[in-house]
Amino acid sequence: MLIGDSVRCFQSEWLKKKRSLGSWLIVVGALFTPTIILAAGMIHRSKLPALYAASDFWTSYWRSSWESMAIFFLPMAAILVTSLIVQIEYRNNAWKQVNTTPLSLTTIYFSKLAVVLVLMAEFFLLFDVAVYASAIVPAILFMDVSYPGAHLPLREFAVDTARYMVASLPIVVAQYVLSLRFRNFLVPVGVGFMTWVGALAALSWKDGYILPYIYTMLAYLRDDPKTRITVSPFQLNAWAVGYALCFTLAGYLLFVNKAQKG
Amino acid sequence: MRTALKELRGPHFPHADGRLREGVPEFCVETVGLCYCYAGQGSGEHGSGLTDVNLQVPKGCIYGFLGPNGAGKTTTLRLVLGLLRKQQGSVALFGREFSKHRIACLAKIGSLIESPSLYEHLTATENLRVMQKIHRVQASRIRDVLELIGLSSTRNKLVGQFSLGMKQRLSIGLALLHEPSLLILDEATNGLDPSGIIEMRELLKKLNRENGVTILISSHLLSEIEKLANQVGIIHRGRLLFQGTLGQLRERQQEAGIVTLGTSDDLRALQFLSAQVPEARIENGCITMPCLSSERLARMNRQLVEQGIDVYKLVAVQSDLETIFMDMVSN
Repeated sequence: MLIGDSVRCFQSEWLKKKRSLGSWLIVVGALFTPTIILAAGMIHRSKLPALYAASDFWTSYWRSSWESMAIFFLPMAAILVTSLIVQIEYRNNAWKQVNTTPLSLTTIYFSKLAVVLVLMAEFFLLFDVAVYASAIVPAILFMDVSYPGAHLPLREFAVDTARYMVASLPIVVAQYVLSLRFRNFLVPVGVGFMTWVGALAALSWKDGYILPYIYTMLAYLRDDPKTRITVSPFQLNAWAVGYALCFTLAGYLLFVNKAQKG
Repeated sequence: MRTALKELRGPHFPHADGRLREGVPEFCVETVGLCYCYAGQGSGEHGSGLTDVNLQVPKGCIYGFLGPNGAGKTTTLRLVLGLLRKQQGSVALFGREFSKHRIACLAKIGSLIESPSLYEHLTATENLRVMQKIHRVQASRIRDVLELIGLSSTRNKLVGQFSLGMKQRLSIGLALLHEPSLLILDEATNGLDPSGIIEMRELLKKLNRENGVTILISSHLLSEIEKLANQVGIIHRGRLLFQGTLGQLRERQQEAGIVTLGTSDDLRALQFLSAQVPEARIENGCITMPCLSSERLARMNRQLVEQGIDVYKLVAVQSDLETIFMDMVSN
């Protein structure tokens, strides 16, 4: 019964994101960096043949694609998409409708969170596909640019994507909790941006890994010799998952105990 | 054996005197000693807190919940639906304690609280589909509901482009989608034009008559409730001032009326009448007294004539419901 309710609630929540700004942001955000990299390649076309012939083409292309994404676009997307999805209920004055449906508050809370998480998964998948597409488009368009001869390390890319996804969990869940708590859209977004800037400033701090918004950046910088973080990638993932679980539980308690439900 | 009998008889819930009511529930909605106090104010004193509200909505009726703005109508309905955390008292729906059977109760309720709750970036059909998924009703029901509320031709239009009246109608459609046993409508006619109000009234009457749907509708418009409801509750400053049938309210209307008399000798007539009706007095050149039964008035008229006093006029002036309502809320 609970599973049936959850599935129905998820389907209902999924319908609500149709034509919403949040769902458009997923597409635009995921395609932005690959498009910029593709455009930059077009501008510096003469360098492409040598670049595509390199034995480590895919690894370096993948890394350069993730640079702006991990530091900037991924935290931004997590902050904005989560806040926009929850804002759908506030903007349409619909919490009272949601909370008078024959569903438990637990089902409502987790179904909406599941929609945000699936949207984020869609974001990662779209980004990965766009990175691949942006890499092969010059090889299709220009005769002198050959298809990259280097081995395509799909498994490594999938593991990397999963790592970034885990790293983004604390941001997604924290934003979800803030967005449920505050009706005014500017509050979760403002707090999210400030916390992200704080995490950015703490990158050179050796104990910076305790900050929940820092993990996407550290996931990218983990091999950078300048990084002073001493914990292992596994520990970083553990911290991120731990934060996400704590935020989920705290948000759940706040949600079910809210005095005024819409 | 005793337990089995209780189960057969149905659930039970506490009554105002603290006793448990057993057997088939006669009320679709029953609140007992409901109090609510918003932060920073006393209950029912300023705005819409509540004091000891014992609402009783009989099964199968149309219950008009009347009161001026800020009287506590919306607060009561929000408490009934669990949108506000209960502070004191109890709420039972279909004879079951709401807090213990929230999901089962909500499955049988359709509601519209104040302004419409619609997703403006979705079409009318998509809005209904959001609810259809949750209530697990046939997809064909969406078409039926759109037909019923007269929005079939605009089913694929974004709700953001709808007028307030259309939004209100769609909200009622959402409330009706799963064919609920109880409809809770808070100021549902807001934003509707006169023909829309008439259409909605007829729709609600039809649902009540043909499908036996119990309707709890709040409004600050007495004229609207008078045309629709057969049960009335009047709330003011968080207190339920009257609850009963429309007939009982009309009896009050009769009681609240006055009789004016014009005679050839008002002083003598008053002297004679005071023995029977102590409240009689001379006002604006006429004798006025509380409304009496027709038989008593006829007898009094006959007696006055027998006393040699000519009766020029005898008029029974009944207060309309609005005056009674205003009297209630202003006292």
